[in-house]
Amino acid sequence: MIAPLSWKTVVATVLLSSGPAMAESVATPPKPATAAPATQGVTLPKPTVLTLKNGAQLLLVERRDVPLISFSAWVRGGALADPAGKEGLAALTAELLQRGAGSRDARQFAEAVDGVGATLTADAALERLSITGQFMSRDSALMVELLSDLLIRPRFAQDELKKTRERMASEIIAAKDGDPRALINAYFEAFQFSGHPYGTPVGGTEASLPTLSRKDVLEYAKSQLGGDRLILSVVGDFDTKELGAKLTAALEGWAKASSPAPQVPATAVTQGRRVLLVDKPDATQTYFSIGNTGIARNDADRVTAGLVRTVLGGRFTSLLNTELRVKSGLTYGARASFSQNTQPGSFVMFSFTQTETTGKAIDMALDVYSRYRTSGMDDAMLASAKAFVQGQFPPTLETGGQVANKLSELAFYNLDSSDVDGFAAAVTRATRGDVSTVIQRTLPAPENLTFVLIGKASDIRELASKYGPVTEMKISDKRFSPPSAPTKR
Amino acid sequence: MFRQSLLWTSCLTLLAAPAAIAQAPAKAASQPAAASTQKLGANVESRTFKNGLKVIVWPDHDIPNITLNNWFRVGSRNEYPGITGLSHFFEHMMFNGAKKFGPGEFDRVMEANGGSNNAFTSEDVTVYQDWFPRSALDVIFQLEADRLQFLSFDPKVIESERGVVYSERRSSVDNDNMSALMEQVQATAFVAHPYQFPVIGWPSDIESWRMEDLQRYFKTYYAPNNGTLVFTGAVTPAEVFALVEKYLEPIPSQPAPEPVRTKEPEQQGERRIVLKKLAQSPLLQLAYQGMSAKDADVEALTLLLNILGDGDSSRLHRRLVEEERAAIRVGTFFNPGFDPSLVWLTADLAPGGNLARVESLFTEELARVVKSGVTEAELTKARNITLANFWRSLETINTRAYALGAAETFRGDYRELFDAPSRYERVTREDLRKVAARIFATQRRTVGWLVPTEEAASTPAARKDAKR
Repeated sequence: MIAPLSWKTVVATVLLSSGPAMAESVATPPKPATAAPATQGVTLPKPTVLTLKNGAQLLLVERRDVPLISFSAWVRGGALADPAGKEGLAALTAELLQRGAGSRDARQFAEAVDGVGATLTADAALERLSITGQFMSRDSALMVELLSDLLIRPRFAQDELKKTRERMASEIIAAKDGDPRALINAYFEAFQFSGHPYGTPVGGTEASLPTLSRKDVLEYAKSQLGGDRLILSVVGDFDTKELGAKLTAALEGWAKASSPAPQVPATAVTQGRRVLLVDKPDATQTYFSIGNTGIARNDADRVTAGLVRTVLGGRFTSLLNTELRVKSGLTYGARASFSQNTQPGSFVMFSFTQTETTGKAIDMALDVYSRYRTSGMDDAMLASAKAFVQGQFPPTLETGGQVANKLSELAFYNLDSSDVDGFAAAVTRATRGDVSTVIQRTLPAPENLTFVLIGKASDIRELASKYGPVTEMKISDKRFSPPSAPTKR
Repeated sequence: MFRQSLLWTSCLTLLAAPAAIAQAPAKAASQPAAASTQKLGANVESRTFKNGLKVIVWPDHDIPNITLNNWFRVGSRNEYPGITGLSHFFEHMMFNGAKKFGPGEFDRVMEANGGSNNAFTSEDVTVYQDWFPRSALDVIFQLEADRLQFLSFDPKVIESERGVVYSERRSSVDNDNMSALMEQVQATAFVAHPYQFPVIGWPSDIESWRMEDLQRYFKTYYAPNNGTLVFTGAVTPAEVFALVEKYLEPIPSQPAPEPVRTKEPEQQGERRIVLKKLAQSPLLQLAYQGMSAKDADVEALTLLLNILGDGDSSRLHRRLVEEERAAIRVGTFFNPGFDPSLVWLTADLAPGGNLARVESLFTEELARVVKSGVTEAELTKARNITLANFWRSLETINTRAYALGAAETFRGDYRELFDAPSRYERVTREDLRKVAARIFATQRRTVGWLVPTEEAASTPAARKDAKR
């Protein structure tokens, strides 16, 4: 669950707790700043698309380079459908999908997956459940059986529910004893989107998880899981006709979800400044996120916004990392990111520094930010950012799993292959004028910023109040939003 | 977008995991994808240049990108008290300027040409990784040649980078309980061998690296004859070799570094360490004296650890997490290197969890495998997991570069990567039982407990911070 910001160095001894991190990106064919324009790039393979009677969408792509089959299933709904006070219900349901289904109990199901060296995982996100997996091609029949059992015939056994619920709560507590980088986003989003479903902590809280019952899970499954919600992409070493027929037979009988997919109101940029201070009394370092509401996944300016982010905090030579790390040595890393969903998600600048230099680092980040909003990029910076995002793009679509996930993502957001195939051209087209416009539109004014600080409150309390009215909580509090924040939507 | 360095969790399996493969190609023989392992590596070429630099190239033109991994045989194993953490700190300095490309230029030029980079340091090696579009190949050679030949050491830059590494230490160790405990267990498990040092270094040493230490490191370890360069992706061996001749072959070789002579004496009794730290959840770690990467039992140990700790069906997960509900998560971890290293078993407990009980359940399960071994079904499962891991390790140019470099560095020949499946195929149930008996002896382990306290202590790290 921990994704360290590792730029220049992962130290081997700490790797036990390091999970994989995603290298997100944007761009296409390499367009070096100094060489002749290259024409090579990646295009998304054209999938064979099958729409089943129940509305399920199947996207199939044959790829024969290694004897593996990867799939990515997206089921619309996710934590947005968690009732107030029942945060974590979608996540618990996802966990339970893989703990007993069809003719297998939890143990038999795990043995079936592990026994052939496969992977199969169900996770909840804000707007969807996702089930991803990889099997060796010789095990495709088993894959179809396990996947359809998991989706259509989960057991939701009471004893598994009890164990899983307890373990999820304990894992949150363990994460609070771990590297704060793993959790600061949960605090930021709960604070930024307080009162809006986007503030829901997807994994639940220590307070909400114990209240989740089997009835809640059954109700969630009935109302939120169904064939009409499914997008399933499969990429790998198989015969399309044969696998398509098998999947159709296995999935077309899945009933529709009994409720409509959750719709959420638009999110908005919040006005003014405010600070959430999370006390971690033994911290020797302060971790801070500064931001507001940013952009949606299908924003018309998303390519340019990617360039804007790259220069501000999306690569090693970004403005933030250059000032806070390279020039001043205050931190191991500083970055900026947009989280993108159907509605605009968070925009965040993030870094960390020793307790004593907290004020210096935050002021420096704010200074970089204000200057960037005023001056934008020069030509050299824009050219470099374009080359970077284009050069880093192809490896994000190299494996079957990556391609499957991209196909499902595009279908989910009603986007098409031009999001990939046309990316290079869109990057090339972006002008300085476009960049300036998008900076003004997507990066909130400096007077409208939300701050979240995790650190030793006794040492940084006074400093925190310099940035805005402070709301305080303890890291051991059994939730991610401060007690004063509304818990109802 | 923080480019994550190749994840060790998957990478490490590459070294030790490739597995029983025999039946896979047979079953899928009609399909073009199901290449045999021999066929897979057929277009890999290598050459050793006049200055001792070995270069390996695996062409693969699926995407127009190239991965370069530069493996140097230097890590915390080559350190001593006073300079712990230096290998890792030096790794940072490799990005801080040389002759043609001054401070900050390495990253600026690389990113402007569409490339990105990272590096990691372990007990045994320091590895530099570049990821770039094909069009940047020549400029990447210029950048690497410049820093390998003319690295500069500016005292001001050294001071600034010290702060960066200190921040890294605070996040990855001081403010992370699992890592903080691991550091203490590792320091207790070795009394003589330098594997006792944390890779990131002890705080007092982070504060005191000196210019001459850095310069000596550069000359001694960053010699062409102490490194291996691996290229994978959209490139041909001929192109690479020509560029190596032009840019890297002129760099002179150096006398071979002093070997690490210290061998850890046989451990003759259990060691225990209790770390008291502000926390809600207790943690348990068991570290058994293990083996080196070249040990004949490495494959058997890898399969055994799969059976014990890999996946929800594994023995330790079943027993401790599902049945007894004594832990919320268990794991096994083994990263074999040049010298015998530790075999780890770890557990996260729920708040209020009983450490003694988890420890005795671990002990019981390990004793059971020593006494009765594993079942045929478990061995088949473990072989399937390693087989799938093997294929996964070849899915991207990044993971291929790692797999080749690891095989070459730790086994002495990159071609051993392709032999791995047959090595795993040969392992028997009796081999697993024997290796369990060899490793899981109580007198050869170090037990670490993290016991939560409610008061924030003034930790050594915190005191150091206050002084800086």
